Amino acid sequence: MSDILLPSLVDGLLLGFVYGIAAMGLSLIWGVMDVINLSHGPIIALGMFGIYLIFTNTGLNPYLALFVVALAGLLLGMIIYGVAVHRVIDAPHLSTLLATFSVNMIIIGIGTALLTTTPRNIDFTLGSLSVGPITVPWTRVAAAFATMLVTGLLYLFLYVSRPGKYIRAVANNRVAAELMGIPSARILALSFGLGTMLAAIAGGLIATFFPFTILSGGSYELKSFVICVLGGLGNPLGALFGGLILGGLEGLTPAFMPTTWVPVLEFGLFVLILLVRPSGLLGSKS
Amino acid sequence: MMALLEIQDLESGYGEVQILWGVNLSLEKGRLTSLVGGNGVGKTTLLRTITGTIKPWRGSVRFNGQEIGHLPAYRKPDLGVVLVPEGRQLFTDMSVRENLEMGATNSRARAHAAQNLERVFGLFPRLKERESQRAGTLSGGEQQMLAVARGLMAEPEVLMFDELYLGLAPVLVLNLFETLQQLKREGLTMLLVEQNVHMALSVSDYAYVMAEGRITLEGPAAEVAQQDEVKKAYLGI
Ligand SMILES: Nc1ncnc2c1ncn2[C@@H]1O[C@H](COP(=O)(O)OP(=O)(O)OP(=O)(O)O)[C@@H](O)[C@H]1O
Ligand SMILES: [Mg+2]
Repeated sequence: MSDILLPSLVDGLLLGFVYGIAAMGLSLIWGVMDVINLSHGPIIALGMFGIYLIFTNTGLNPYLALFVVALAGLLLGMIIYGVAVHRVIDAPHLSTLLATFSVNMIIIGIGTALLTTTPRNIDFTLGSLSVGPITVPWTRVAAAFATMLVTGLLYLFLYVSRPGKYIRAVANNRVAAELMGIPSARILALSFGLGTMLAAIAGGLIATFFPFTILSGGSYELKSFVICVLGGLGNPLGALFGGLILGGLEGLTPAFMPTTWVPVLEFGLFVLILLVRPSGLLGSKS
Repeated sequence: MMALLEIQDLESGYGEVQILWGVNLSLEKGRLTSLVGGNGVGKTTLLRTITGTIKPWRGSVRFNGQEIGHLPAYRKPDLGVVLVPEGRQLFTDMSVRENLEMGATNSRARAHAAQNLERVFGLFPRLKERESQRAGTLSGGEQQMLAVARGLMAEPEVLMFDELYLGLAPVLVLNLFETLQQLKREGLTMLLVEQNVHMALSVSDYAYVMAEGRITLEGPAAEVAQQDEVKKAYLGI
């Protein structure tokens, strides 16, 4: 039994890192501006296609292509904020939900038209790593490392750099930030961009080991919701831990029941946590 | 004397509701001016309009002769117009030190940030001791000191205080009073907005009384304190 359990747990945990970075993007945007970004999934999918298109057209190493995808994700997010979100930022939540949902539909519409829904696959491999009974593709290990690196850099940015501190100030008290001379609209755009950048990076990493279509982001968006509830919305590090919990859970479940039960279990957990600890298992912003 | 900040016929409000009905007020350079009045007469609204948190409907706000009424709030500290807002409005999740850094965001203030930090730590040694503490966990008095210190970090030319003394113990009131005197000696132009009329009038040079969105009385603070209507309405004499 344990010779199946251990490898699939490791598999799940490695995947959990990537879930974590996707959730971190959602969590960051919520934490700074109280907006639930419903275009999160399609942006994850765009990250997948970004890596795919760069790799198949230029042969550039996917991990180098990730820098391009990250930058594009940042810019796209800032544009989405400026065009669709900023004008409703102070309106009730329903307005921002509808605004980001519209962006979701637009990306999926254009994506389906231009890229079709035929599954794509990046023809790239780094071989496998074997330790005892465990064999995992190096791409999964690399994705976990990339996630840790990006998380570290994000924290460094938020706690050491001036724009990062501005983001925390705006998240904490937007009116006061504005009074102290911080251009809050620009800082909100930057924060939204960072959130979508994390989504694009997550997509890019997933594309190195799973096939995908323009619709593939949806399931990761849903997982991000579960993870944010696990880790506490608005808490980026909590998102990473939430991702690991979910990944581990996904790794273990198939040993006990058919994989079709995984989403039932996940969302059962989601509802349970909302009922018992609405602020999230690992706490959240006060 | 020359008015550093000059407000003329200023009108503003929230949504459809007009609060200010043509306010005239000017702050002379180096002077401590106070604005007093009862609850809900529009004092905070006036400050919000000056800083740009809400837009003026009509009238003008001139700083050093230049019209600044249309500028967004975040541009004001750049010019030297800074508010210590009602209810402190600290960055409660950030450290004391970070709150002070967030005060110094404009280019002038950033150039002298290290110097100014020493200066405010000199004025409020307590803050130096609590430099890395989260602002939200400070005592009420310490939070008020931090709010003032953060405002000073912006290197203001005009510093405005909204209910500076609200809810503070007498000792702290005295401390802050001394701080204001010191700032005045250094030549800072200040506007003190207070409900505590007695306190405000006793420390300031010039005073305005506001009622229902209009200035109803103005003059040297000592003279305003002698007016019958002020005595009756605010000083309980
Ligand atoms: N954000 C807001 N939206 C709508 N109305 C507001 C808002 N803030 C204040 N008001 C209204 O504007 C009027 C003036 O309020 P303001 O806060 O300017 O008074 P104030 O003189 O500062 O009073 P206090 O001394 O109690 O602080 C009040 O009637 C208040 O209800
Ligand atoms: Mg007020």
